[in-house]
Amino acid sequence: MIVATSTSEPIVITGVGAVSPVGNGFAAIADGLLEGRSGIRPIEPGGFSRPGRQFAAPVLEIPTPTSPDIDLDAFAKLGRLGQLCGSPAADALADAGLRPATDQLRIGLVLGLGAEHLKAWEIDFLGGGTRVFEPHCDDTLVHRLARMLQLRGPAVTVAAACASSGYALAIGRAWLSAGWVDACVAGGCDMISPTGLAAFYNLRALSRRGDDPALASRPFDRDRDGFVMGEGGACLVLERRSAARDRGARLYGELAGVGMSSDATHMVTPCSDPTQAARAIRMALDDAGIAADQLDYVNAHAAGTPVGDVAEAGALHMALGSAVDTVPVSSTKSMSGHLVSGAAAFEAVACLAAIDRQAVPPTVNLDHPDPQCPLDHVPHTARERRVVVTASNSFGFGGANLCLVIRHAA
Amino acid sequence: MHAFTTTADPVTAACGVAGHALLEVKLTDIAAVRELPVPAGITPLPARFLRHADEQTVVGLRAVLESVAACRAAGTSDAESDFADYGVVSAPCQPGRIPAAHCLNLLRSDGPSTVSPHIVPQCSLHSIAGAVSVALGMHGPNVGVSGGPHALSEGLMASMTLLSTGAAPGIWFVATTWDCEPTLDADGAPVERAFDPPICVAFAVALTAATAPAASRLVLRIAPLSPPPRQPRLVRSPADDVRRFAQAIEAAAVDGEASNRWSHAMPWAGELRIARVPATPRLKEAA
Repeated sequence: MIVATSTSEPIVITGVGAVSPVGNGFAAIADGLLEGRSGIRPIEPGGFSRPGRQFAAPVLEIPTPTSPDIDLDAFAKLGRLGQLCGSPAADALADAGLRPATDQLRIGLVLGLGAEHLKAWEIDFLGGGTRVFEPHCDDTLVHRLARMLQLRGPAVTVAAACASSGYALAIGRAWLSAGWVDACVAGGCDMISPTGLAAFYNLRALSRRGDDPALASRPFDRDRDGFVMGEGGACLVLERRSAARDRGARLYGELAGVGMSSDATHMVTPCSDPTQAARAIRMALDDAGIAADQLDYVNAHAAGTPVGDVAEAGALHMALGSAVDTVPVSSTKSMSGHLVSGAAAFEAVACLAAIDRQAVPPTVNLDHPDPQCPLDHVPHTARERRVVVTASNSFGFGGANLCLVIRHAA
Repeated sequence: MHAFTTTADPVTAACGVAGHALLEVKLTDIAAVRELPVPAGITPLPARFLRHADEQTVVGLRAVLESVAACRAAGTSDAESDFADYGVVSAPCQPGRIPAAHCLNLLRSDGPSTVSPHIVPQCSLHSIAGAVSVALGMHGPNVGVSGGPHALSEGLMASMTLLSTGAAPGIWFVATTWDCEPTLDADGAPVERAFDPPICVAFAVALTAATAPAASRLVLRIAPLSPPPRQPRLVRSPADDVRRFAQAIEAAAVDGEASNRWSHAMPWAGELRIARVPATPRLKEAA
């Protein structure tokens, strides 16, 4: 009873698909983030608007998959959340050169989706349906997508709140290391809905600024007052490096380290003691075999909540020690809003963009850095510099902590 | 680019099985479970901890608490702190439907200001795992898995995946579902039924690394390539799946032959089995 083909071989990223408020696809997102372009705009949230100006970071267009072997009728029936996941998953496979589908590969699918069932009930209910009142047990989206994409490996949905799609990447990496799959599509997405907007607003987690929407998301700024809901996310194709090299695939980067822990203190509020969040960061650095001062960039979780940003700054200080003074840190949520389940995978794409373009994306709206968050911030505009090793933090309800280390694939 | 061909042979993974508990609670009795004190020797829950929790969280957490208490009684664990580095994987089946119906009715009738702020943290896929982690102070990763008819197999696979990474020395796996799901009226309240009352079924089991002492082993076999299913694979009943798995784990602890009769097909080309291993010295002492 042993794992038959476990390996410590590097796991690399060979395909990227993404839909986001700042653009769709790797190149557009890299351009948008490095230009400091905001995807936050006024919205009308499904007829349930409250008084005052409403804003969020919506996906304006979901690209239809172009691979000829994908059943577009099946894609059309997925609904908005399914399409937000299906479009980047199909694009990532095409980008990796794994479309049309092959019978010869065991390709897995791991989706980070925090509340697929709640979204499905809500969409049905607001459309006049009664599914939420009736007993039923529907197939989950991940299996519908696996059939649409004709994948022959394991398919699993995972959730860890705002860290969900990062956990999906961690699971996909582990499957490859254990030899359970030949390649894996991993990531996650989320969608804006009236209930989600209202619940986070009533939780006092959303920004209530009434001026320019583009100024509302202000991570690490002393005048921040909450996050801005976004939607979209990303899917990445992961492979063992030898297989990717043998077939001449593009190597976007290596998923070099993963760290996971739980605060175990509160269902909603981040722990004021940064020990467990810092432990996740240190685990990821150790897993990648790097020291803190080798980091060239940290993409912070920092959503712009008063408590969360301070907690993360504390965790970075504890985990990185004196290196924290010289490692650039930014939050791309200042431009994309908070993609919730899709945030971690989208922010992994931001790290790949930093490696590809040799520049650190900025935290826009960071006019007055909070003195409780003393970090090497990158305010307003991108910073050109050598970027080889990056880390991305994600924290979620239920005390979930996750850190991914992504580096240039040698 | 060159062609890419599979390295796929059947691969097998394994993990150990330690303490476990199966709990079945009628919907009408869940309010009482919400108020129950924790078993003796376990740190009390924070005040009103389960006040807004979904029914599957209430019963799932209770199954873990009783299992931890059973581990202590059996001598396989000395203290709650034995599990401080454990992770939690919860595998519910469509959690949060009753609170969601109530919430959606309020949204339509009274507007967004009446939507409960608890609906996201308490009714999402990861809510049970988060609650177990907080309640028992477990600092390993906590993850929700599936939410659909294949929750048992997806959750077990995710648990074995996390164990394979060394992220935690053990995982508390919690499968929850309904037997005879509640039907709700137009106000979102459960309809009373004389026959087949809704029963929330929860099974909690501690899974350990394959090398750790354990009463039995759970084996996952991932088959080589096979044609992908064109249609959703049928599931008999998620509640029956959970019960059969619980019975097999129990049987494996006392009767190797019984455990050999259990297997569970994954929705793709994979299969789960249980294999009995010799009892550890510690378990023998406890017996």
